Amino acid sequence: MISSGQVWPTIDGPLGLTEEASVDYARRFYKFGFALLPWLWAVNCFYFWPVLRHSRAFPQIRNYVVRSAIGFSVFTALLSAWALTFSIGGEELFGPVWDKLVMYNVADRLGLAGLA
Amino acid sequence: MDRNQQRPRSSILDSLGEELIGILTPVSICMFTVVLLVCLLNSDPSSSSSFSSIATAAYSETDSDSPWDKLLGAFLNSLVFVAAITVATFLLVLLFYLRCVTFLKLYMGFSALVVLANLGGEISILLIDRFRFPIDSLTFSILLFNFSVVGVFAVFMSRFSILITQGYLVVIGVLVAYFFTMLPEWTTWVLLVALALYDLAAVLLPVGPLRLLVEMAISRDEDIPALVYEARPVIRDDSRLVQRRVWREQRSNVNDDDVENNVVRAEEEEEQRSEEISVPLIDSSSSSSSRPETFLEGIGLGASGAIKLGLGDFIFYSVLVGRAAMYDLMTVYACYLAIIAGLGVTLMLLSVYQKALPALPVSIMLGVVFYFLARLFLEVFVVQCSSNLVMF
Repeated sequence: MISSGQVWPTIDGPLGLTEEASVDYARRFYKFGFALLPWLWAVNCFYFWPVLRHSRAFPQIRNYVVRSAIGFSVFTALLSAWALTFSIGGEELFGPVWDKLVMYNVADRLGLAGLA
Repeated sequence: MDRNQQRPRSSILDSLGEELIGILTPVSICMFTVVLLVCLLNSDPSSSSSFSSIATAAYSETDSDSPWDKLLGAFLNSLVFVAAITVATFLLVLLFYLRCVTFLKLYMGFSALVVLANLGGEISILLIDRFRFPIDSLTFSILLFNFSVVGVFAVFMSRFSILITQGYLVVIGVLVAYFFTMLPEWTTWVLLVALALYDLAAVLLPVGPLRLLVEMAISRDEDIPALVYEARPVIRDDSRLVQRRVWREQRSNVNDDDVENNVVRAEEEEEQRSEEISVPLIDSSSSSSSRPETFLEGIGLGASGAIKLGLGDFIFYSVLVGRAAMYDLMTVYACYLAIIAGLGVTLMLLSVYQKALPALPVSIMLGVVFYFLARLFLEVFVVQCSSNLVMF
């Protein structure tokens, strides 16, 4: 229960959101994160870090934040598995496709590497 | 509250140190990152001749021109650029006067997206190219997409994590500043001086666009929808929050040439609100349901308490230091110290004059003077001493 020491749901403390606004924000961040935005989920967890720490304090916000954390971990695991396979495997694993997929070649092909 | 009345009225100096650090840290981080990028990505200086933007519209510098031609060309370029900025700022004043705030916010978000995605992507590609980092295009595009979209959220939404918003503003400053260091050399220096003079005029003259903008914002008690870095408000432990509204306004006009102008304004309003504010800090259950909202509004970002520095200040300080880095690191140290000293002087003047002040002139003038002094005199001295093993 919240005693006289007010626990703020956001990491900014008294400068951040109130509890009512936080539920709205947590929900919106959680929903937007499904648009291939795991970084938004991570920001959600970071911003509402006190909610994760005090596990009994804010049940509604905690629901969304925990789900965001799980989503972020799953997505990161998948993405890093792919990225590490790509970079470590290299040509031996992928064959000539590697040269087509790697970023600096793609940039050269599309002419992105020059400014202005 | 007798204790509050018996305590002497504290001066600004009590909290100025913490606030100074709150502003100097991000400025230093921005400058350091730009210098790092310049040192990592810098190839030969002649490659900058292919760069074109509005700042080189009148004249593009080639190596074969005489110094007088280059100087003249640089003047023309700066004239064009400052004229463009003036027009854009007057447009902003007009839009703000007509209360098109949504449009301005959308424009701000859009420009943040363009800077983060476009410039950020290009600079990352340059870095990947330089280090031959084996990342694939799918991962890269997902990361870039994430980074830019969350950046737009951070800039767009008024209530977001302070740290992340500050981080993204510094990143935007770094990206635009790196972009501007690619201008030809003479153009860069003349442009910096011209912008410093323009800033002085735009803020202090009664007809200046920035002064009009700030006065409108103050009279309507609104925030200007622009990219402004805001330091975390300082809450002192005697629970008296010094309410100070300090303005540095900046506006960004995009299409590959971001345009920023800077204004600093200070207005100190105290005690009437301090008691209302100190009470909810201790115990909010006794206040009515509307109280915590107004309390948070009172010390929230944008309404009070924190020093704000326009993003254009960040950008042009970093451009100066980045251009100094293209010569040698010795000039970097000299210019860095000059700029920090100038910023300190500006903040002191701010606390004395308590009105709108331009942030560029003092620092840029000091920075330019120190750059040329270091390049012309200091370098000779240091090189002679080092080669004769006297010092350093």
